[in-house]
Amino acid sequence: MLKTSDYITRLREAIMHYDADEATKVAKEALKAGVDPVEAIEKGIAVGIREMGERFQRFEIFLPHLVMASDATTDAMEVLVAAIPEDRIGLVKRGRIVVGTVEGDLHDLGKNVVVMMLKSAGFEVFDLGKDVRTEVLVERAQELDADLIAVSSLMTTTRPYQRELVEELVRLGLRDRIKVLVGGGPVTREWAEEIGADGYGRDAVEGIAEAKRLLGVDE
Amino acid sequence: MIELIEVAERARTGPRLEEKKWNLTLFRKMQELIKEYDLSSRGVEEFINTDDHLADDAFEAALDFIVDVGAYCITTNRVIHFDEEEVRKAVREAPDQVLMGEGIDARVFKQGIVDGCKPININPGHHAPFTEDLGPLVAKNFAQIPRTDFIEGFNFPIVDGRDVYDQPLEAYAAIREVAWMREGVRKAGRPGLAIVLYPISTRASSLIAPMNPKLGLRPTDGLLMSTLPDVKVEYDHITTAIVFSNYGYFAVNGSFGMAGGFCGGPEGAMIEGIVRPIIGYIAYGDSLHYTGVEHLAYVMGERIVLHPVNWARSVVFQALSRNTNMIYMEWNITCSELCTETGLLENALRSIEATVNGAALYAPRVSRARMNAGQTPVEPEFMIEVSDATVKAKLKREEAGKILQQIADRLKGRSPEKGKTIQECYDLVKHKPSNEYQEIYRKVKKDLVDLGLEFQYT
Ligand code: B12
Repeated sequence: MLKTSDYITRLREAIMHYDADEATKVAKEALKAGVDPVEAIEKGIAVGIREMGERFQRFEIFLPHLVMASDATTDAMEVLVAAIPEDRIGLVKRGRIVVGTVEGDLHDLGKNVVVMMLKSAGFEVFDLGKDVRTEVLVERAQELDADLIAVSSLMTTTRPYQRELVEELVRLGLRDRIKVLVGGGPVTREWAEEIGADGYGRDAVEGIAEAKRLLGVDE
Repeated sequence: MIELIEVAERARTGPRLEEKKWNLTLFRKMQELIKEYDLSSRGVEEFINTDDHLADDAFEAALDFIVDVGAYCITTNRVIHFDEEEVRKAVREAPDQVLMGEGIDARVFKQGIVDGCKPININPGHHAPFTEDLGPLVAKNFAQIPRTDFIEGFNFPIVDGRDVYDQPLEAYAAIREVAWMREGVRKAGRPGLAIVLYPISTRASSLIAPMNPKLGLRPTDGLLMSTLPDVKVEYDHITTAIVFSNYGYFAVNGSFGMAGGFCGGPEGAMIEGIVRPIIGYIAYGDSLHYTGVEHLAYVMGERIVLHPVNWARSVVFQALSRNTNMIYMEWNITCSELCTETGLLENALRSIEATVNGAALYAPRVSRARMNAGQTPVEPEFMIEVSDATVKAKLKREEAGKILQQIADRLKGRSPEKGKTIQECYDLVKHKPSNEYQEIYRKVKKDLVDLGLEFQYT
């Protein structure tokens, strides 16, 4: 008979070997064996994906590895979250974030890094891609009931769309509900303050710290 | 060559694929090819590759990639396929030289030679951010550098006091950019010097806007039209390519592989660095390619990452040299900022490396450049001096690799150095660096002399 800690180790390893099938299988087995899904997520999956994020930060692994590890995470999470009773769901939900690069901007390397790092920090992330119009960002955030929109802009010529996003949220009366986090090459803390964004990250690591602060996640 | 309109058609009708799936397919195929052709950098100590077979294998791996996987159009989310014969034919037909500029300022830009010990072609700069007040003056200063073959435009956030933002202003800004460049080359006494449009944005409207033989871009000028990382292309560029190629303009392609991205590590980036020039030629008609391999952390200005990235870059250059006519260049980016010793050391390393690998040298710049702090004429002057000294010393790959190793030792453990803006370290009216920058220049040059380089002027 396997112990809880065995399932947790296997889950962590499945994530670290980018093995979505194995992660899903172990998640199911763990539930059957009576493992607490919250514990399986926190000690197994979250630890595995966080470690992958750190490895990426040290450039030991690359973007595709992070994508595959996070796919495995998503699959296993689906199984485990479904088994968590309503009143305990708050324990594993860290917030929903919509991410995109603004209109006219095709630079997505930085955005991709931010997406993956946010996922590895346990947020539920919806990546809308690059060259995303302001209306689309807002619409999707509404549909998904997102807590935060994180936008990337790599050019001075596209940075003004970040201002447009804040203005659009104000216009629609959504500003109190949806927070805005900005980043990218020409973006600075001063710019973030000037346009009334809630947070700014010079890099992905700062971005995660800001997202945690804005969504009240403490560790 | 496959016609551009045929490429457009395939981009519109090819098989649909989600972008995320493309990214992972690309990664997996790169991993497979690295194994199949045994392209691992593990255990390689050289800074410059000396194994010709490996360069040829890398080239074959790149062709396999194009034939088996193709390119991806992000506008239509479709895959564009090419058959082997089309690709081999394109590689054979790509021009090995481009005639650019007019009158006595006209130049021939050619493919260099590995171990050729010959002076290489030069683009001294821009492709960096400046404010509009510096526009024509900066262009004049770069055009004054004698070895210049063409100069490229730059980007600016404000034009006529207004934010450059959205289509109308982008088109207007593109027109102003070229006007400033033309004024600059005239003021430098070289009105015929070729200019390359640096896109203010990549919408077709703003790329086509400055095309005007009298006041804007002439057919002997060019424009930057880069393929996207992860072997992706887009409609605006295909449209623009159809227009420009009809009138004879040349086009430049930024096509290095990014280690750390979806292609994986340096080896995957190496394959991508060969694939993208070929795709750039086929899909956009690009004829000059700044390619090779860069590292995510280096481009972000976070960390000076050298070996095995240098090695992978040299494989790309050698593969293109040995198997194609294509004109390839190395982008001389530095993590460290202007007016720093580290910056010039990084620059020297790339200048030697490019020359020995037969790569033309392209737009030295701080990798994550701040406004008015991306470049001065000092870096290209230095780059040219070092390149010419490499030629004079008749350095071949092996010896050059050892010198790179020594420069790398000097850079070891150093973080990227913060530096100055152009106004703080260069007098654009007198065309002269500050005393501080001159001192640093002399010091680094002396250091290189100690390593065995021989400069024409001391
Ligand atoms: C690679 C690159 C490209 C690639 C883009 C590939 C891609 N798929 O992303 C290509 C070649 C296609 C390209 C094209 C262009 N580019 Co470009 N490009 C760059 C370059 C060299 C690096 C950017 C990069 O990917 N860095 C690596 C990533 C990981 O870093 P990052 O993006 O900075 O992201 C980090 C942080 O900023 C932060 N971050 C980013 N987003 C967010 C979001 C949030 C919410 C948070 C918290 C944090 C955060 O975290 C990230 C990870 O730590 C920069 C110069 C530079 N060094 O920055 C120019 C640069 C951005 N490009 C520029 C330009 C002008 C262009 C072009 C118009 C012209 C051209 N070069 O052809 C086109 C425009 C295409 C378009 N319509 O968007 C200019 C922009 C100038 C300006 N106006 O401000 C730059 C600054 C170069 C310059 N001249 O100085 N480019």
